Amino acid sequence: MIRRALLAVPLMLPLAAQAGAPVALKAEDVPGLLKPPAHGVRVLALWGLDCAYCESNLQALMKLQRAHPREIELIAVATDSVQQSVALEQRLHAAGVDTLPSRAYADATPERINYLIDPDWGGELPRTLIIRADGSRSGISGQLTPAKLATIP
Amino acid sequence: MRKAIALLFCLVAPALWAHEGHDMPGMSMPKGPDLGASAAIDGKGRLWVVDAADGHVRLRHSDDFGRTLSAPVAVNAQAEPIYAEGENRPKIAFGSKGELYVSWSQPRAKPWTGFVRFARSTDGGAHFSAPVTVHHDRAEITHRFDAMAVDAQGRIVMAWIDKRDLEAATARHKPYLGAAIYTSVSTDGGVTFSDERKLADETCECCRIAMATTPQGEIAAFYRSIFGDNIRDHAYAVLHADDQPLEAQRATFDDWHIAGCPHHGPGLAIGADGVRHAVWYEAKDKPTIHYGQLEPGKAPVHAQVIATTGASHADVAVSSRQVWVVWNQVNAQGSALMLRESQDGGASFGEARTIAQSKDAVAAPQLLLWQHRAFVAWNTAAGFRLVPTEAL
Repeated sequence: MIRRALLAVPLMLPLAAQAGAPVALKAEDVPGLLKPPAHGVRVLALWGLDCAYCESNLQALMKLQRAHPREIELIAVATDSVQQSVALEQRLHAAGVDTLPSRAYADATPERINYLIDPDWGGELPRTLIIRADGSRSGISGQLTPAKLATIP
Repeated sequence: MRKAIALLFCLVAPALWAHEGHDMPGMSMPKGPDLGASAAIDGKGRLWVVDAADGHVRLRHSDDFGRTLSAPVAVNAQAEPIYAEGENRPKIAFGSKGELYVSWSQPRAKPWTGFVRFARSTDGGAHFSAPVTVHHDRAEITHRFDAMAVDAQGRIVMAWIDKRDLEAATARHKPYLGAAIYTSVSTDGGVTFSDERKLADETCECCRIAMATTPQGEIAAFYRSIFGDNIRDHAYAVLHADDQPLEAQRATFDDWHIAGCPHHGPGLAIGADGVRHAVWYEAKDKPTIHYGQLEPGKAPVHAQVIATTGASHADVAVSSRQVWVVWNQVNAQGSALMLRESQDGGASFGEARTIAQSKDAVAAPQLLLWQHRAFVAWNTAAGFRLVPTEAL
């Protein structure tokens, strides 16, 4: 038992070291990302390098998530290519949100991933997709106001 | 022993992780050149295409309407960073004496910063002048999303998105939404550019500026602006190349509120009769491409929805009573290039028709007119395509 636990620790270390480094998001990963959570809400914070509003939006969402850690699962999803992961990680780190689970697009056609995530989203950023345990989803484009943030938990 | 096993896993697990990453198709695929490109057809029917690769704006031409393209000529001999994705793309225009003018935006070190660059060829694209920076302001801030057109007198009119007023307001702790649009004119074929003039404050910071020529031979601009609290509707202005004051007027009234980056500029084509045919995008309820005829200061006339869910990046062209609208339509499989045509000057449009498809990434389509025929320049990751609009 102890031996197993000890073995598990080093296995997890590389994962911990990857915090902030975005994990590739392929088309086939999208259904898993959209699956309703067992309870509470999963929030996809879609952001991009060329978006002056995105980092402050991520910060506001992270603050909300920290206030409701059991109800909200928050994932930062960059619409830029995962091949830009160094730049993405730097930006997340500078904004102080690099502890969030993080994904980045890995598809030859980013617009296709946009469409698969939400056909009613035209790629404008920031975009917040809220997926609730009851299967309902809602999307909000643009920087979240305090009033809109309050509707998430 | 336990320690040794644990250490072994420490060493092996990252290798497994790296291997897994390496096998991901998105990871192993080399990143291709950015797809931002522009094209133009000259009076002799030669197609010219500019895009960017390896730090160079490259120029290619075709004498068989895009079936084969020439070897590329480097516009900037010395490599430099170039914006060529999304709403940023190198531009090409013709001078009145056959000159080729090329502009682009150059990223600087900090995020969202840039300089607007320009070079010209007076020998049919064989050689280009050393690039110049168009604006006189050299602060390391946003000057990008360049737009370029040549007016009836051969003057080069440039416009771009510029954050100098945002920077100044921020320094004074004053609120300022978005960015400004500045414009500059060259009356000597691109050797020098005038001191820049501000067209408007508080415009959208990430959407391309559309340009078209008025019947009077001036260049008009149509762009996404900001009204009130982040209402991102569009404005129209004539960019007078002389000293006349510049006046921008609100021209769309969808009231799309977004504190964000639509990355989605409009399209404009002006008929010989002065009718301002426009296409634009908003996503108040869902992604929607609109067509309308601009009446600056008032709501557009003949306004109609062209396409919705999955539709993006429309362009418009007009020749006499015929109006073409093209756009990208994305679906789960890839992208389709769509067309709707009007034969009655834009009062009504026929059904949408797919004129090309791509499983690869695509850039925004651009309509080109030649002898009253319309073609679509469509850059894809699989190569540049010139797509005719006529039904087969």
